[in-house]
Amino acid sequence: MTHTTDNAWEHPEVQLAGNGYVVAFVVGLVLMGLSLWIVRGHMFAPTGTAAAISALAAVAALVQCVLLLHMTVSRTQVWQTVALVLFIPLFALTIGLTSWMFHGLYRRTMLMPATHVAAPATATPARAD
Amino acid sequence: MSATTSGTLDAKSSSMWSSDHGHDVISTKTLGFWLYMLSDAMMFTALFAAYAVLGHAFNAAGGPWGRAVAHDGVAFRETFWLFASVLAYGLAMMALKKGNRGGVLLGIAASLVIALGFLAVDSHEVLALFRMGALPERSGFLSAFFTLVFYHGLHVVVGIAWMLVMLVQVASAGLTEKVVYRLLNLRLFWHFQAVMWVFMFTFLYLRGAIV
Repeated sequence: MTHTTDNAWEHPEVQLAGNGYVVAFVVGLVLMGLSLWIVRGHMFAPTGTAAAISALAAVAALVQCVLLLHMTVSRTQVWQTVALVLFIPLFALTIGLTSWMFHGLYRRTMLMPATHVAAPATATPARAD
Repeated sequence: MSATTSGTLDAKSSSMWSSDHGHDVISTKTLGFWLYMLSDAMMFTALFAAYAVLGHAFNAAGGPWGRAVAHDGVAFRETFWLFASVLAYGLAMMALKKGNRGGVLLGIAASLVIALGFLAVDSHEVLALFRMGALPERSGFLSAFFTLVFYHGLHVVVGIAWMLVMLVQVASAGLTEKVVYRLLNLRLFWHFQAVMWVFMFTFLYLRGAIV
């Protein structure tokens, strides 16, 4: 059953390697440098800065997934891409829901100083507890 | 199918097992290792979630926080070292594509040395934080911060050890099928560290520098 070849490096998985690695290096450094510049230069308000660097991180990660990890829909790679695409919601939901839950907890227990977060928009009705 | 009626599975006649049907060792092992890398990424996810929760000022318990801990300039230097190491491993894979054994050895050796550079900057930074009293046990914030830093650093250490093993195997056994699939798995492992570092740099260091 073993797929024997005299030249194992001729496998399609190996032949995926290419100049994309150099492009990924340059693009990755430029995008991260841009993020650093935005933060250092105080270009936007804190919320805007957070949104901008998050967007740049998403673009950099996408570029690296395609160019470094070869996440494409080609015949050899499609199942790896499917696994990654199914992983992304788990990644976003785990971090997003956890911070949403605790952010709500912090507000309602008034642990957080008023300067860091606004009070809940609608006054929570008093509960019999 | 005769295989089903006789109750035995004849591997030779069943189309399921035909060898020209993409069932080869290198592809199968690479997919398996990729699924392992994604479960490792879930570990990172959990640690990022913990950091998102414990990243607020009051979790610093009056200790060092924000800019005092997250040094974005040092983090950018680490970005350069790690991405350069990933590039060097990529060049080793381009040499492997041509069956160039010397090129593979050279690329992995370069990647290893540059990874040591990353580790030097990383540990220097951690020790500087320790000296100023920013210890993992100081606050919930610092526990979450250092757990992520150490977990990522551990990956770099494992990657370096793996590169040493592969240098020996490529030099002694040559580019056999087993060596080639291990080189491919190490490529996935190492290049995945670059993707994780993008999130480390953005959400650990830059995010810490904004607040």
